[in-house]
This record gives sequence, structure tokens and C-alpha cells, in this order.
Amino acid sequence: MASTLAQLVVDGLGMGLVYVLLASGINLIIAISGILFIAYGQFYMLGAYILWGLVVLLKVPFFISLCVATVVPAMLGGVIYRLIFQRIQSMQRQFLNGIVASIGLMVLIGQAALLAFGTSSRGVPPVFTGMLNVGVVSISFDKVVLIMLAIVVLLGLHFLLQKTNVGRAMRAVSFNPDVAALQGVNSSRIYLGAMVVGCALAGFAGGAMSPMFGVSPQMGMTTLLVLLVVVLGGIGSMTGAIIAGLILGLTLSFGQYFISGGLAQIFFFIVIGLIIFFRPGGLLGQPAEEMPL
Amino acid sequence: MDNLRKKCRFNRNNLRSGKLIGLFILAIILVLVPVVVHNPYYIHLLIMVSMNAVLAMTFILLLRTGLITMAIAGFWGIGAYASALLAVRLHLSFWLALPASTVITGIIALLLGYLLVRRGGIGFVIETLVFAFIIVLVFGTFDVFGGYVGIYNIPRPDPISLPFLAPIEFTSKTPYYYLMLFLVLIVVLVFSAFYTAWTGRAWRAIGLSPRLAESLGVNIFRYRLLAFIIAAAVAGLMGSFFAHYYGAIIPSTFGPYKTLYVQVYAILGGVNFAILGPIIGTLLMTIASEFLRISKEVEPIVTSLIVILLVMFLPDGIMGLIRRGQRPQSPAKNITRVAGWIRAFLSTTNSDSRDRK
Repeated sequence: MASTLAQLVVDGLGMGLVYVLLASGINLIIAISGILFIAYGQFYMLGAYILWGLVVLLKVPFFISLCVATVVPAMLGGVIYRLIFQRIQSMQRQFLNGIVASIGLMVLIGQAALLAFGTSSRGVPPVFTGMLNVGVVSISFDKVVLIMLAIVVLLGLHFLLQKTNVGRAMRAVSFNPDVAALQGVNSSRIYLGAMVVGCALAGFAGGAMSPMFGVSPQMGMTTLLVLLVVVLGGIGSMTGAIIAGLILGLTLSFGQYFISGGLAQIFFFIVIGLIIFFRPGGLLGQPAEEMPL
Repeated sequence: MDNLRKKCRFNRNNLRSGKLIGLFILAIILVLVPVVVHNPYYIHLLIMVSMNAVLAMTFILLLRTGLITMAIAGFWGIGAYASALLAVRLHLSFWLALPASTVITGIIALLLGYLLVRRGGIGFVIETLVFAFIIVLVFGTFDVFGGYVGIYNIPRPDPISLPFLAPIEFTSKTPYYYLMLFLVLIVVLVFSAFYTAWTGRAWRAIGLSPRLAESLGVNIFRYRLLAFIIAAAVAGLMGSFFAHYYGAIIPSTFGPYKTLYVQVYAILGGVNFAILGPIIGTLLMTIASEFLRISKEVEPIVTSLIVILLVMFLPDGIMGLIRRGQRPQSPAKNITRVAGWIRAFLSTTNSDSRDRK
């Protein structure tokens, strides 16, 4: 029993870390550039497919492919920001129009992936073989390395936001764009940076987790769930995103094991609804003002 | 002062009559469509366009009050399931199930809205999103709702006999089309009644600035709740029609992604136009995707590209084209301006009129 429980915890942590990575990425985009970027999940899928293509088809080493799978979605995100969202952000009613443009992007990228890769899901071979035995628990070496990688990336993100000039500028813009601009921060460039870093995190999450969960075109449809995680943790709060993502992962893994079927999921959503109802700003965030439409 | 008031009244009446004439012409065209178009597929498309347009209108209704809802498809589904259950389990006639399911959806919206509407902003978006997730799971999990197989064999509406007409049997698409037209007419009348009455002014005030509206004595909670209930009930009405029109419903139809599409239609049409905007937006997007149906795989790509370009270059929606330039303008001037455009358009295409000039 104890070993099963520990196994579930490890699985849940692995799944939760995917959500943590995704949530911190879209958290940056929402909190800093103020775009409700619904196409976000497609970058996760893109990262996974790039890794699959490089590792399985071209036999490139895993870590190089992971770097490519991080960089390409990031560049795509930057290009999309410059092409589409920069224009929209300078207009009236930017929030609504941003939502519509990102819904369009979501359909666009999703359908293009469907055309290119077909509907079947693919597997990526494990990177490391062998099991790590810790007491009663045995974890595949693969998972350990990937969880470590995710933690390193999160630490890097924390360092970027807290210690570097770019990170300070990002936090300033997220706090108040006008005041930040008065202090000489080029807010347009910061929005671009948030988009690039956010999409890089999505691509990394997709690439790093594809050996564990496989690759399929439906992966991109997780955005709304990730959005829930972000709000549950509190918009703009990285710690909140980590807590909420881990809660989601653990609930999913335990729920799948103990209570099969939809009842567990219904219960889970009701709990999220209650938390947001009593704490509208999320677990660790400030309740937002009415948003400008 | 008196003069000014007279002037205002004059302009308003002018606008009313222009609008009425336009609506009348539109109604005649819509009624005559099945006489001209015999392909049932196009009739089906028109029915779906009307349904999506009405759903988009409910989105704009809530948007007016400053709320972005993700629960449209959820209430649509509640209406559909309520009506289907009433008809299949209780053998109720469609003509009773339609209003009954509307009322049921309204009551559920009242209970839910009482909790949710207090939170404006992103809290409301997320709460309704959670609701949208839950409702699909509830439909899929419990046996009462038929699980993920859904409910099938939902009976057609019973034949009705109107005076001076042969009894109408719901065997082809055309009677459904007329029924839909009738429902849309009712919905539009109800909506415009609410918009022109004090409720519409209160909603608009809340949407412009909740704090200012509150300081002027508008009860934000009550008016938002009213808008929430009306929007949900209308979505439920559409759901009831949908269930009996399709004859079978499955839970995944009513997922949150449907709501996203409805929002796209509404915003592309133009948010400033509560009734015409959704109709135009839905119609044009459907026409665009139908024209591109040559290859089914490429169609969504081109359609979404169109969506992105429209949003980038027409931020006020398609209907915003009419009101480009200075915004606060007398409505009568608008009509003359549009008339001017039509004249210019005719003069460029029709050589006869150019000669006459």
C-alpha cells in the first residue's frame, strides 16, 4: 500500500510539474502583457512534436532536441507577438480582441498540426533506462531526470524574474505599465519578452514531458485547464502557480487510481470553484479590479 | 430646452422608422428564403446561423454589463437536456417542453447567478469556465443524462395547425426554419425591449463604469443577475430547439470550446451592435467557411486566418465599418451616410446610373 501511495505521489508530482511549467508560462503572458492567450496550449503541443520529430525521426540526441523544442516555440511566440498582438494591444478593446485573435491562432496551429501529423498519438522512447530504488518506491530514472530538469528551469525562471534587470522591468510593467514607461522601460519590448519566455516554457514542458506522456494533437486543448490552474494560484504569483499545479497533478493521479469516472473530476472542479469563490484572487494573488473591456 | 427635446425626439423617430423599414424588408427576405432555396443543406445552415447568432446575442448582453461569460454553451446544454428529458422520459409535447426548459434554465441561472454575479472581472470568467467544465462532466457521468452516449430518439415537434393553413408537419427542414425564425423574432423583440427600457440604460452604465453606476444608485448585482438570467434562459430556449431539431444530443457538444466560437462570432460582428452585430458576424463567418469547404482540412486554417486579420484591421467588428470616424454622431446622419455609400456603390457598378448623373 505504502509503495502504491508513494508511486501515486511521484506520478502526480510529474504530472503536476507539467502544469506548473505551463501555468508559470501563461501566468507571465497574462500578468505582464495582459493577453488572455488561449492559443498557449498549442505551443506545448508544438514543443512535444518538435522533440518527437528530432528524436524519433532524425535520431538527434535528446538534450539537443529539447533545446530546439524550447527555442523554436519561443521564436514563434515572438514572431506572433510582433505580427499580431502588438497591433491589437495598441487598439481600443484590446482585451476582447486579443482573446479572439488567440482563439483564431489556437484553431490555426491546431489544424495545421492535425494536417501535418495526423490524429494518431505517438510515443517517444525513454531517454534513460533503469529504475531508481528509494526504500519501497522504485521510480524510473527517466522521471527523476525530467522532474529535476523541470525544477531547474523553474529556479532559472525565478532567478530571471527576481535578480536580473529584465525581470525587474517585467515585474514593474506588470505592476503598472504607465509608471514603468515613465521610468524608461520599453513596455512593448517587455511584452515581447514575456511572450517569448512564456512560449519557451510551454515548448520546454511539451518536450520534456513527451517521454512520459506521449505526443498527440489533442495536447494543445489543455489551455483552459491551465488557465484554471493560473487563477487558482493567483495571477502573477509564481508560488501560487506551483502550489496549484502540484495540487492538480496529485488530484488527477489519485483520482484516476481511487475513484474512476467523472465523479472525481466533478468534485475537483467544485473544489476549484469554491476556492475561487471565497478567494477571488486565487490562493496567493490579489483580487483584481474589474477588467477594462 | 424644449427645442432641443423636440429635435431629439425627431431624430429618434427618424431612426425608428428607418430601422423598422429595414427590419421589415429583412423579415420579408427571410420568410421568402425557403421559397427560393430548395437545397435542404442551405436551410440547415440558416437555422444554425440563427441559433449561433442568438447565442452570440446572449454573450453581448452580458458583455454590456461588463461580464465575460464562458457558460453560454453550458446553459445551451441545460436547455437541450431539460427539453430532451421532458420529451423522452415524461413524454411531454415539444410545445410544452420548449417553454418549460426555458424556465428551468432560467431558474438554474438564478441560483447560479446569485452566487457568481457578485464577482466581476476575471473571477466571473473563471467561475463560469469552471461551471462549463462541470456541466459537461455532469451530463457525461450520471445515468439520468444518458452518459457519454447522450440522449437519442428525441421526438420531433408535434404537428401544429394554424388557422387558414394546412397542419404543419415537422418532416422537412423548412418548418424548422420558420419555427427558428419565429423564435429569433421573439428573442430580438425581448432583447430590444430590454435594451430600450431603463434596464438597457442601467446595463450600459454598469458596463461603462461599475463604480460610477453604483454611485448613481444602480444596483449592480440585481441588474447583472437579471442580464445573467435572461441570457441563460434564451440560451436554454435555443438548446431546447436544438435537441428536437437534431433528435440526439451528446455531452461533448456543450463543452467550453463551443462558447469560444460563439464569442468569436459576437466580437467579429461588432460588440457595439447588440442584435445586428451577432447576426452579421455569424452569417459572414458561416458563409466564409462554406465557400472554403472545397477542402475540408484547409478550411479551418483559412477561416482562422480571416478571424485574425479581421480582428487586427477591424477592431470594432464588421458592423464597426458603418460607424468609422467620429463616434458620437446622430443616428439619422448614419443612415444618410450608408445611403450615400450604397448610391456610390451602385454608381460604380451600374453604368446606367452613371450616365444619368
